[in-house]
Amino acid sequence: MQEESRNIPEEVDHLYRREYGKLVAVLTKTFGVNNIELAEDVVQEAMLEALRQWAYTGVPENAMGWIYKVAKYKAVNLVNREKYKRAYTSKVVHHLQSEWTLEPALDHIFTDREIADDQLRMMFTCCHPSVSKDSQVALTLKTLCGFSIPEIAKAFLTTNENINKRLVRARKSIQAANIPFEVPTGKDLEPRLASIMEVIYLLFNEGYHASSGQEAIRYELCEEAIRLAEMVASNPNIVNTSQISALLALMSFNVSRFASRTDTFGNLVDLEHQDRDKWDQALIQKGLRYLSFAAQHDQVSLYHILATISAHHCTAKDFGSTNWEGILSLYDNLVLLDDSPIVQLNRAVVLAKTANAREALMAIEGINDITALQSYMPYYTVRAELHFQIGEVKKASELLKKALGLSPNEKAKSDILDKLKKIDDL
Amino acid sequence: MQEFMLFIKTNGDHLLSLSPEEQQAHVQKIGGYIGGLMESGTLKGAQPLEMGGAVVQGKGGVFKDGPFNESKEVITGYFHIVAEDLASAINIAKANPIFDEEQAIIEIRPIKRMEGIN
Repeated sequence: MQEESRNIPEEVDHLYRREYGKLVAVLTKTFGVNNIELAEDVVQEAMLEALRQWAYTGVPENAMGWIYKVAKYKAVNLVNREKYKRAYTSKVVHHLQSEWTLEPALDHIFTDREIADDQLRMMFTCCHPSVSKDSQVALTLKTLCGFSIPEIAKAFLTTNENINKRLVRARKSIQAANIPFEVPTGKDLEPRLASIMEVIYLLFNEGYHASSGQEAIRYELCEEAIRLAEMVASNPNIVNTSQISALLALMSFNVSRFASRTDTFGNLVDLEHQDRDKWDQALIQKGLRYLSFAAQHDQVSLYHILATISAHHCTAKDFGSTNWEGILSLYDNLVLLDDSPIVQLNRAVVLAKTANAREALMAIEGINDITALQSYMPYYTVRAELHFQIGEVKKASELLKKALGLSPNEKAKSDILDKLKKIDDL
Repeated sequence: MQEFMLFIKTNGDHLLSLSPEEQQAHVQKIGGYIGGLMESGTLKGAQPLEMGGAVVQGKGGVFKDGPFNESKEVITGYFHIVAEDLASAINIAKANPIFDEEQAIIEIRPIKRMEGIN
């Protein structure tokens, strides 16, 4: 990876993306959820028209106001044009079709509060259970975050065609399910909110853990995930913000370490060898504030536990003084909520710190559903390290050779080869 | 000093494929470009043109109405500028950010001066 592409812009002004997302949300309400694509087209056209005009007349001071005005005009024109008599499922449309109600309706639609609510409604629409997870993520990025298809494809290391297919499927599912454009209430709210958080966390992890891809665009995914979560948390319709606050804490802690996660060659650096001076203290503080807020409610979710584990790491002066005991007991709780083999494997790593390598190896042997780990590289590298620690060099070498065939990229491969060489040199 | 007309011609619409992020970058570029021309007093006028319209072609009372060939190099706008000479007008045209995005053509034509009249 080139040095240049690794520079993460300090503060990028993503105004256009933000406003794109807002306008698409407002117009989706206006045209109804069966017309998401129409809403996107209108916004895209309004922005293009601005570009075409400004190339000759310069950029007006209130550039966004200009675009809003054009978008409104286009929307009103569209719903009133005879040949465009499509099926509008929204309740708003007929207000725009009568001159008597047009102005007040427009004023109402475009208040800040309405726009904020529309964005939340849009999130619930994009993350509706009738849409597959893959498509939920793609649609959220496209409509709420203003990412283009090539940008999404780049972030997910896949083709434009593939992303386009996911978007088409998502819109079809939304149409078929006839989802109302609203924030769910009562019993429905909690599971639907969980589904939103899942998408946000997926988005974040895609940016945070991808083993390759352009650093800048991956950082943006993390930024977007945090922005969406903050949008949800700050909306008055969401009363219980315990989980979303925990998720925000978790993301703040993780992203605070972003700059130290790769070396000058773009290779991933593990926690033990990261330069802790590079950790963003402001983000860590922010994470701690979210975490204490999340703890006020009498509720413990996956995000609470993960955030607290992350907090332990972020507040440790150095790797040696990490509170492993505390982290182990959090893992014990985590296993109760999610006893997937990977969580159990991670718990064993912590056990090696609090107890010893032998106990950790025993814990790994006891993992149920261990076959799921057969093709998971860390399953071999972790055990190799533990066997190495107790002097079983030959076993360690065998395991590393198995890991070699499973390494996802060249960097991982060369790391393993380095370790193998070290063992052979002994 | 001399006046020039810069006719902008494009082949199709490249802007269509820009993402909001790229559009924002584009706006910053054109803002700087046009702002610079305005401040230096170079720009006398500029307007984009609608894509529609007509072409009237004929001789001796036989007219044909167009548009004849919409996809080929359409004039999409004009700049009316003041510049030192043709060379500096060319430089101004070259700096147009349109070339970053599109396969564009800018035709630079000095406005004819009639000695003793204008």
